[in-house]
Amino acid sequence: MIGRVRPLVLWSPSTRRLVVVLVIIALVLLFLLPRQTQFLLQQVSKPVADLVSVPLEMMADVDRGVRNWWNQYVALQGMYEQNRDLQVKVQNLEGELNRLREHALASQRLAALLDFQEESAMTTLAARVIGRSASNWYSGVVLNKGEDDGVAVEFGVITPAGIVGHIVKVASSTSIALLITDPNVAVTGLVQRTRDEGIVQGTAQGYVRMKYIPPLAAVKEGDAVVTSGLTGGFPRGLLIGQVLKVGEREGDLFQTAHVAPVVDFGKLEEVLIVLPPPSSESTESIGNILTSQEKKPKDS
Amino acid sequence: MKTGLFVGFILLLVPLQTTVLGSVSPFGIRPDLCLIAACLIGFLTGQVQGLIMGFFLGFVQDLFSASDLWLNTITKSGVGFFAGLIARNLANAASHSAFLVVAVFSVFSGVVFMVSSRVGMDIGDVLLGFPSILLPQALFDGLVAIAVYWVATRWTPEASSF
Repeated sequence: MIGRVRPLVLWSPSTRRLVVVLVIIALVLLFLLPRQTQFLLQQVSKPVADLVSVPLEMMADVDRGVRNWWNQYVALQGMYEQNRDLQVKVQNLEGELNRLREHALASQRLAALLDFQEESAMTTLAARVIGRSASNWYSGVVLNKGEDDGVAVEFGVITPAGIVGHIVKVASSTSIALLITDPNVAVTGLVQRTRDEGIVQGTAQGYVRMKYIPPLAAVKEGDAVVTSGLTGGFPRGLLIGQVLKVGEREGDLFQTAHVAPVVDFGKLEEVLIVLPPPSSESTESIGNILTSQEKKPKDS
Repeated sequence: MKTGLFVGFILLLVPLQTTVLGSVSPFGIRPDLCLIAACLIGFLTGQVQGLIMGFFLGFVQDLFSASDLWLNTITKSGVGFFAGLIARNLANAASHSAFLVVAVFSVFSGVVFMVSSRVGMDIGDVLLGFPSILLPQALFDGLVAIAVYWVATRWTPEASSF
């Protein structure tokens, strides 16, 4: 059976032996010392990721161009454009409405007492989605901003409508963000109306659920769920989604709610990466606290 | 020249997987091109070629996947190697053999990913990966493998007489 096609690599026997030995050593090390080998791999991976990001960006541009052409000229002339504009507008308005609502609630309760500066000051960096995670087992997107732009692991990723996920892997010019619908992502959330806290986590089914809601909390369908700001990456008050259903089984210590994310992850094109606030902004006024400002990427 | 082709193949396959295949994903499932490539290279050219290609393809795939930086490297190396071993014992192979081998290795690889990506979750949630991702992907990978096998065995006719 073997030999039906020519080998892709025709190395000399000595080179071939050397490559095989190196590969086997690398695999054995990965098996025996996975943590230690990861450090070495991370050093090697950065230049390789930079190299791959060149064809990746090119293919992303071609893919985007073909999709735009199809959507705009073939599938639905005019309607697509209008629909997209309206969707963006609705998402922006929803995000704005949520921010204002959150701001009003915060002002009513704690106007003179609380210092919101640290938890809500937000500096963001715009990034483009250039691909999807190379595996079906993780819900992730590849972003065109990396370490050179100041991005690091655990940074939050949002859109004007709400939160998207957080960064899990960073190369020099690209990064991977895991979406909130992935079971490996969890953020602390807050039911906006009742102020009850819980953990918002993705599920294997691809939706989002809010766990550990206090048993007496009067959470109901349609309630908005926002970030509580207690875990890193996201400031307080960013919209996560709306409660679809509250599940409560007899004997359970906590309630669990199914949440419909406000972001349409299938159509993500541009996102904002939440950068940690610079220390010099500590004297910012409350009026600026809930306003996100886009920071220009470093010249590179 | 051959080394350039080898590097180019590795550098282009993963971008293809992450970009263009996003638009070709029925029910949200995309074929794993790197697994198909590693498996078929092992199957058609031998276990050593399969091991080497699987290692490098898996490594680059790991860079653009949210999984740990070794999971694809190890699984793809193993897939390439064992596909080569299986092929040694097959007298008459055809496209249906390629389908079976790729689908079976896709299931094995999927089990590794399912377990590692669902650590700490309820067993019900873990097993949900079978009908929702693992089996559809195995089927999809197998079908793509048939097409790739057909093209690969016809584009290199001089080697077919080996």
